[in-house]
Amino acid sequence: MVRGRVWCFGNDIDTDQIYPGKYLPLTDKKEIARHAMEGTKEGSEFIKKVKPGDIIVAGTNFGCGSSREHAPVAIRGIGISIIIAKSFARIFHRNAVNIGLPILMLENTEDIEQGEVLEVNWESGEIRSITHKKNYKGKSVSMLEQKIMKAGGLLEYLKHAE
Amino acid sequence: MRDFGGPNVVQEYRRYFNGHDVFDKEKVVITFDLHVPARDEKVASNQKCLRDFANEQGMKLFDVNTGIGQHILLENGLVKPWDIVVGTDSHMNLLGAVGAAGFGMGTTDIAGAMYKGRLWIRVPGTIKIIVKGKLKKHVTAKDVILHVLKTVKTAGALNRAIEFSGDTVELMSLTERITMASMVTEMSGDVGFIVPDENIVDFVKSRTGNDFELIEPDVDAEYEQIFNLSVNDLVPQIACPHSPDNVKDVKQVAGTKVDQVFIGSCTNGRFEDLRVAAEIIKGKRINNNIRLIIVPATTEVAKQALKAGLYEIFLGSGAVVTNPGCALCTTGHPGILAPGEVMLSTSNRNFIGKLGKGAEVYLSSPATAAATALIGVITDPREV
Repeated sequence: MVRGRVWCFGNDIDTDQIYPGKYLPLTDKKEIARHAMEGTKEGSEFIKKVKPGDIIVAGTNFGCGSSREHAPVAIRGIGISIIIAKSFARIFHRNAVNIGLPILMLENTEDIEQGEVLEVNWESGEIRSITHKKNYKGKSVSMLEQKIMKAGGLLEYLKHAE
Repeated sequence: MRDFGGPNVVQEYRRYFNGHDVFDKEKVVITFDLHVPARDEKVASNQKCLRDFANEQGMKLFDVNTGIGQHILLENGLVKPWDIVVGTDSHMNLLGAVGAAGFGMGTTDIAGAMYKGRLWIRVPGTIKIIVKGKLKKHVTAKDVILHVLKTVKTAGALNRAIEFSGDTVELMSLTERITMASMVTEMSGDVGFIVPDENIVDFVKSRTGNDFELIEPDVDAEYEQIFNLSVNDLVPQIACPHSPDNVKDVKQVAGTKVDQVFIGSCTNGRFEDLRVAAEIIKGKRINNNIRLIIVPATTEVAKQALKAGLYEIFLGSGAVVTNPGCALCTTGHPGILAPGEVMLSTSNRNFIGKLGKGAEVYLSSPATAAATALIGVITDPREV
């Protein structure tokens, strides 16, 4: 279960918006996190305003574009607790699961507002709006993906799967 | 893995599996194609990290003098039909050009795959795209795939595989198939697939030195969606800023002023692509207000181009020809744009900010790019 304030984004938020290509040579996860969502409408203000536990809500095809894992690494690095979107791009979806960053699919993400406080159970898919006293039901990832996330990511999972 | 993402893979691999050999050192290779040769100390350190890892593991590394990774795999006989190939490149799926399943993946996946030789994959449903008809002069595979993008849209193949078929596709060469399969990424597809024909089989056999089994799609295969496209009357296409599916006829934006033209990339950087451009440019000078940057996909392509006299045509026209690599697909390569500048590119993406803040990128075929470089404004190649 996670709880946090919502940051709303639109459809097709690509990896260049989540993590601009000019920072690709960075390998330090703390440095990578400093550029989270820098290419979006929020720009470099985002990391100044975001708080640990906050939630990203977006439309379709979140994380489309390149295969850079920097994108979910940056989002996790600034403390985002979960991303809720109508749909995720394949590589971003994999990368998020593989690093243990929770994601959830939800049809009517447009009903959720900027700043709204949500409580989310990413295993069952249940979402409770604390602000509007409303419930939503999202679609969680597969059992195998949940196992990988709970293990703390793919490499932890593989290490202990021997 | 590549110089892009590769150092992150090594970092994760060492953290979790330090001291362990990769699952099969014959099946893991490293290619350098993003920032080649190294442009600054950080990139140089990243590349050194990969060279050290390759030496340590005894695996093959294709250094800064080789070219774009997937093309290197094809040229060196490292991929055959029905192989599953994973790599830190979102355009791995261009390997569908020889009937292989190429998956672009992140660093954690690649570190896990190198260790285990196995990964989890969600089996995608399939979309079939049937393209029929004969292409007119100066209408190319790039125009076909842009036309497909206009129909399918950027999220249209999300979590699905795409099978291309129909007489237009069946007649395509390896180069044209690469162009088609590479842009499955822009439709958010998992993998692209084209049934290999005799030419493809001969190419793969000559490069791998091996025979292999060919499997064809089942006659009763189920498709989630089928698109039928006729290209008999197709005219040159162009993707306008800032999305690869914002596709129009070149005629509709003809006359738009352009500052720079880029011919190259994993989508359109092969010899036949450069030859198309050279045929249009031959004996002429490019427009004074244009910078034309040409980048062969690989050193093999560059050698072919040199032998065929293309360098003489390009250099004589006022173009810059650089060493093989990914080049102007992302920031960080020489040739980046200033705010407000416009580039016409034969690459595959034109997302906002991808090649410089405030710059605009159009995507087209090498023929349209060459015609535009000559005139200085977006130009239909049938008019030069």
